[in-house]
Amino acid sequence: MKTVVLLSDARNPVSGRAQLSRLEAQAIGLAAELDESPQGLHVGPGEEGVSAGLGHGLCGLDVIEAPEGEDPLPALAAFLATSLKSDEPPALVLCGRRGEGGLDTGLVPYLLAEALGLPILADAVALRPGEASDTLVVDQAMAKGARRRVTIRLPAIVTVHPLAPPPLPFAFGRMRRGEIRRHAADVSEVPVDVDAGERPHRARPKLMRTAGTASGGANLHVGPDPEEAARLILAYLEDNGIRRYGQG
Amino acid sequence: MTAAAFLPWLIVAMIIVAAIQIGRRVMLWRQGRPAAVDWIAGLKALPRRYLVDVHHVVDRDRSASRMHVPTAGGLVLASGLLVLGLIPALAASHLYWALVALSFMVMTAGVVLETQRRYPRALPRLSLGRWQRLPVYLGVFAVCGLLTTVLAALGNPLPVLSLLLFFPTAAAGLALAATTATGPMRHALAGATHLVAHPRPQRFDPEAAKGEATGLRPLDLDAEKLGTETPADFAWNRLLAFDACVQCGRCEAACPAFAAGQPLSPKHLIADLAAASGGGHARAYAGQPYPNERATGGAAGAHTAIVSPEGLVHPDTLWSCTTCRACVEECPMMIEHVDAIVDLRRFQTLERGAVPMKAEEPLAHYRGCDEPNGRPLFERTDFAAGLSLPRIVEKGEAEVLLWLGQAAYDLRGQRTLKALIQTLNAAGVDFAVLGGQERDCGDLARRLGDEATFQRLARANVETLSRYRFGRILTADPHALHVIRNEYPAFGGAYKVVHHTAFLAELVESGRLAPASLAGRTITYHDPCYLGRYNGEVEAPRALLDALGLERREMARSGKRSMCCGGGGGAPSADVPGDTRIPDIRMGQVKETGAKTVAVACPQCTAMLEGVTGERPEVKDVAELLWEAIEAGRRKPAGAAAARELEPA
Ligand code: SF4
Ligand code: SF4
Repeated sequence: MKTVVLLSDARNPVSGRAQLSRLEAQAIGLAAELDESPQGLHVGPGEEGVSAGLGHGLCGLDVIEAPEGEDPLPALAAFLATSLKSDEPPALVLCGRRGEGGLDTGLVPYLLAEALGLPILADAVALRPGEASDTLVVDQAMAKGARRRVTIRLPAIVTVHPLAPPPLPFAFGRMRRGEIRRHAADVSEVPVDVDAGERPHRARPKLMRTAGTASGGANLHVGPDPEEAARLILAYLEDNGIRRYGQG
Repeated sequence: MTAAAFLPWLIVAMIIVAAIQIGRRVMLWRQGRPAAVDWIAGLKALPRRYLVDVHHVVDRDRSASRMHVPTAGGLVLASGLLVLGLIPALAASHLYWALVALSFMVMTAGVVLETQRRYPRALPRLSLGRWQRLPVYLGVFAVCGLLTTVLAALGNPLPVLSLLLFFPTAAAGLALAATTATGPMRHALAGATHLVAHPRPQRFDPEAAKGEATGLRPLDLDAEKLGTETPADFAWNRLLAFDACVQCGRCEAACPAFAAGQPLSPKHLIADLAAASGGGHARAYAGQPYPNERATGGAAGAHTAIVSPEGLVHPDTLWSCTTCRACVEECPMMIEHVDAIVDLRRFQTLERGAVPMKAEEPLAHYRGCDEPNGRPLFERTDFAAGLSLPRIVEKGEAEVLLWLGQAAYDLRGQRTLKALIQTLNAAGVDFAVLGGQERDCGDLARRLGDEATFQRLARANVETLSRYRFGRILTADPHALHVIRNEYPAFGGAYKVVHHTAFLAELVESGRLAPASLAGRTITYHDPCYLGRYNGEVEAPRALLDALGLERREMARSGKRSMCCGGGGGAPSADVPGDTRIPDIRMGQVKETGAKTVAVACPQCTAMLEGVTGERPEVKDVAELLWEAIEAGRRKPAGAAAARELEPA
C-alpha cells in the first residue's frame, strides 16, 4: 500500500539544528511495514534534517521548496492532490502530531484532511491492512493506556502516537542511497483555508473526568440518531460552559 | 641408490604439494580488495620484522620461542640442505649427510619441546584437533629423517631399515605440506607474506611514534559499500593476515571480554574470519568456544555475510570488543584484530543500522547535538563556575589549549578536571578552553562504526581549532588524545597533543609546581589502553606518582600489557551481557597488589572502576593526587610531614 509520510521542520531541542522529529521517524517505521518503498514529503527550504528519514527507512523523499517560515499547507495540499489523482495514488498519508520547530499549531493534518476531503484518524500505534481491500486497521492509543481498534477506508490521513514502536535504526548508507526529488512549490490548485482564525483567549472550566474512555453513566446514549447525538453533545458542552451558544 | 637419496626428491615433492596448496589460498586472497603494498620495502624489512618484532612477542612465552626456534630452524635448514643434495657430488659426501642429520636433530629437539606444551594436556589457550596432531607429523618427519640421514652418513650399513624409515618420513612430510592450505602449516608462508605485506608497516618502524600505527584509517564515505560485510570486502592483505594465525591463543588469554564471559574470543574470531574466506566447508575449530556462545548458522563464503544469524559470527561477538588492543599487542603473527572488528562494525552501523539497542541513543545524540550524552555544548564549562577558566575566544591565543572532553558533563570526571584546572592555575600555565565551541571528538561514534558522524565531527573540530593559535592541546582524556593526535591528521588537523599526566610530570620536573610528599600511601597505577598501548605512554604517569613519594606497586598486567577497564570502544553502550563485569576483574587485580588507592588517568577508567561495588581501593586520577599534594604543600612547608593514609571511601 503506497504510503507517504509527512515530514515537518523539527529542531533539536538542545542544538537547535534541523532534525527529523522522532514521532515522524516512528511513522516511517509504521509505513515501512505496509509499503516496501515508503516515501517522504517535506515542504521547506531544503532537506537538512528530514533527509535522515531516508536513513530510518524511507526510500524516497519529495522536497517542495519553500522559504523558511512559509506555511507549508498550500504546497502540501497541492502536491498531495496531484498525486492522489495520479496513476498510483498514495493510499495512506502518515504524519506526526505536530511539528517540533517551536511555533507549530498541530493543525496541519486536520486542515490538510479538510482540503483534500480525506478522513483523518489520530494517534495510531499500529497499522495493518484490513481484510477488505482499501481498508486499514488502526490501533489507536487512548487515554490511560487504553487502545481502540478502528477500521477505516482508504485513502486516509493518520497521525501517529508516541507510543508507536521505536523508529527503525538510522543507517547512513541507506540515507545516502535514498532518492531526493526537489520540486518548486505549486499552490494554484487546491483552495486551502489557511486562516484557522484567531480568537482572544477565554478561560474555560476544567472538565471533570469521571472515568476513562469506556465511560458510561447517566450520559450514555446507545445508538442515538445523528441529529439527536449532535444535539446532546451541544447541550452538554453548553451546560458545562465549554461552548457558548453562537460563539463557536 | 640409498633411501636417503630419495630425501631431496621428497622435499621437492613437499614443495610442490605446498605450492599447490598455497596457490589455492592465494586465489582466495585475491578475492579481497586491492591494497597498496610496498613490496620492496617489505621484503627488505622482513628479516628485521621477523627476528626482532616477531621474536620479541614470541619470546614473552619462553616455552614458545624455545620450541619454535629449533623446530622451524631445523625444518628449514634440513629442507634447504636436502634440496642441495640433488647435486650428485654432495650426495656422495658423508659429511653432507652428517650435516643434514644435525639439522634433523635440532628439529627433533624442538619437537620434543613442542610436545611438552601439548602432551599430556595442552595449555588451555592452545587449539586441539589438527594443531594437536601437528607435533606428531613433525616428530615423525624429524625422527625418521634423522635416522635415515644418520644411516646415510654412516655409509648406509642397513639399506632395508633406511628404506623402511624413508616411508614414514615421506608420509609425514607430505602430510605437513598438505596442511598449508587450511591446516597448521599455513601459518609459515602466510605469516612471512603478512610480515612483508603488512597493512600497517609503521608498527615495525622503531622511530615512528606508537600512535601512528594504531589510529584507525578513514573510510571513504562515497564508496559503493561502507565497511565490511563479506570476506571479499576485506583488503587482500587482511585475508592474508587471518591465514597467518597460529591459534596460539595469546590474544584470547589477554582479552578482557573473554575473561568476563562475553561471547568474544579474538582467536576464535580470527579463525572464523579465515574459515569464512575459504567458504563452503564447516569450520573445524578446536579451541575454546566463545564464552556463552550464541548460535549462528555457520554459512561461509567469500561473498557471504560474515556477521549475521546465518553467518559465522554473531553480532554480540562483534559488539563485545572494547577495542583495547590487548590482542594486537600479544599476537606473535602481528594480526590487527581491532581493524577487522571496526571494519565489520562499520558495515553493521552504516549500512544496516544494526547497532545494539543501547548504543543507538548516543549515536542519535551525536547526530542531533554533537555530544553523545545529549547535553548542550555551552554547558560543558558549567562545572568550573568559580574557577578561573579562560576561553580562547576571549584570548585569541594561548600556550596550551585544554580539551575538556566528555568528563566535563560527568560529576566524577568534573572532580578530576577541577583538580587539573586548579593545578594549571597554580603553575601559572597560559591556557584556555574552547568552551561552547568544543564538540565531542567523535571517539565513541568511530569505535561504534559510525564513521559518517566521526568524520563530520572531526572536520568541524579541525575547522574550529584552525581559528585559534595555541602551542599544544592538553587533555585528560586518552581517547580524545588518541583521536586528535593520530586520527585528525587525516582530516587536515595536525596538532601536538599532550596527555595531562605527561604535562603535569613536565611541570613538576621543571620545578613549576612544588607538591608535598604523599609518602606513606601505597598506590597502583592502571594504564589506560588508549594511553599505554595505543600511544606507548607508560612512563610519565609513573614518574609523576613517584615524584609524589607514593609507594607504587605494579599489577601483574601493567604498562603496554595492561588490562582494559571495560570502558572503551563503546562496549559500555553495547552492554553485551557476560558472566562478570570487566571492571570487577580489573579491580580484583588492583586488590591483589594490596594498594589502598588505584591511580587512573582516564575518565572512562575512572567511571568504570568507580562503578565497582563493595569494599575496594579508592579510585583517584593522577591529577587529583597531584592537586592533593600541592594543597598539602601549601598548608605546610613542602615535604614537612607525610600525609596520612586515606581510608577508602
Ligand atoms: S590471532 Fe595471533 S595471538 Fe591470537 S591465536 Fe592467532 S596468532 Fe595467536
Ligand atoms: S581489542 Fe581487547 S576486547 Fe577487543 S578482542 Fe582484542 S583483547 Fe578482546
